[in-house]
Amino acid sequence: MSRNPYVRKMSKTTWFLTHGRYRSYILHELSSFFVAIYTGILIMGLLRLGSGPEEWAGWLEGVTSPAGIVFHLLAFAFAIIHTVSWFKVVPQAMRIQRGEDFVPGQLLVRAHYGVLAGVSVVVLILAGIA
Amino acid sequence: MSTREITLKVLRYRPEVDSKPFFQTYEKVPCEEEWVVLDALNYIKDEIDRTLSFRWSCHMFVCGSCGMVINGEPKLSCKAFLRDYGKKITVEPLANFPIERDLVVVIDDFVEKLLSVKPWVIPKVKKSLDDGAYNQTPAQLKSFKQYSMCINCLLCYSACPQYGLDNSFVGPASLALAHRYNMDSRDVGRKAREDVVASAEGIWECSFVGACSQVCPKDVDPAGAIQQIKITSAIDYVMSMVPGGK
Amino acid sequence: MAKSPKAIFWLLFAAGGTVTAFVLPVMILVTGLAPAAGLFSDALSYETMNAFVGNWLVKIILFGILSLAAWHAAHRLRVVAHDFGIRADTFVAQLAYFMAGIATVLALIALLAV
Repeated sequence: MSRNPYVRKMSKTTWFLTHGRYRSYILHELSSFFVAIYTGILIMGLLRLGSGPEEWAGWLEGVTSPAGIVFHLLAFAFAIIHTVSWFKVVPQAMRIQRGEDFVPGQLLVRAHYGVLAGVSVVVLILAGIA
Repeated sequence: MSTREITLKVLRYRPEVDSKPFFQTYEKVPCEEEWVVLDALNYIKDEIDRTLSFRWSCHMFVCGSCGMVINGEPKLSCKAFLRDYGKKITVEPLANFPIERDLVVVIDDFVEKLLSVKPWVIPKVKKSLDDGAYNQTPAQLKSFKQYSMCINCLLCYSACPQYGLDNSFVGPASLALAHRYNMDSRDVGRKAREDVVASAEGIWECSFVGACSQVCPKDVDPAGAIQQIKITSAIDYVMSMVPGGK
Repeated sequence: MAKSPKAIFWLLFAAGGTVTAFVLPVMILVTGLAPAAGLFSDALSYETMNAFVGNWLVKIILFGILSLAAWHAAHRLRVVAHDFGIRADTFVAQLAYFMAGIATVLALIALLAV
């Protein structure tokens, strides 16, 4: 009997829609788009801060415009998706062995959330909000 | 013991007559309550259609030969209990491998990848039998034990989109096994494995979808292993660029 | 097979991913959503911001966050392009890392100018 293996090809452009775990993967990967734009906006803000009060006021106006608000709402949502997905895999990337046993993964995750809370409170205090 | 009737939709491919695979439906397959999908397939082969081909051996999640895609999910068919599914079950061969016949896939590529990472202990000094065993503490054993549980069932390769998109990728199980030996206190082969492991086709092709670890029936966590190799390899790479580094 | 220089970019990606996971949510709140919600009286006024960013420690921290965020996003966007079926990986990589390089330089210029 002759061999004639059949090769099934995966779609190179739509594969990430075919399964729940691929969809959640591509969702957190897309956070990078918002991280990139937000970083750009902040750098622009700093550049304009250095150019004087009017320039800075112009930047603030852009941030608080309807388009600015929509972008920042989306960016905030994706930042949360990024944080949650990043912390979720910490136990996989970081294995700490003490003696024979490993530090429980969930403890590492909780420690990350603890630091997140601490950092957030400090920033909010610095900004005069909390 | 109660029986129930299950409909199995099985992807068939007979290389001598078919130009492409097609679904064949086996209706009203009488199944016992405690059966797994593999039992149902064996019933079909024994009683309904003896041309149906599939691989299996141990029937107890050890041999790793009965991997299939069941209702879209890579599974060991000996571990997929019928009671966890509805009355209709779809069975396909593992994704990302060429189909040899029906549910049997060609795994030559995997075997080649596995060998390329030198999955054996490379000791610093070869001992003769008379010199006795290479000793290891329980803690040293535990550091890699999880990664040694792999049964080469290839569910991870079936779940991995990066392997599916570009099969030059060394892939999850092979890299997890490379990590298993890298972490072994008796082994000094990490540098020897790095040519393959730390190449563009090795760990760097992985984008941490994490699907491999989610489908692994042995909780090996290949995705975690790959991330850990990335960390050490990246540090190695930086050190090799620093003057005086190695 | 040779060892891949992707190692360097991955290291920046991973460092940036960790830093952004900790700081981005609250930063977006403070610099984006709070001003729009009118939560500030004068914290974002020109004088206050100038004095704040004038602090060297703040400059160093902001530079770290902004540059790592840029390299993180650049590397991940390269992977996204690949996942979307764009197979000109060398070109995409060069473009992405070039943009990250520009962002790094601009961040440095901006912070030194305040």
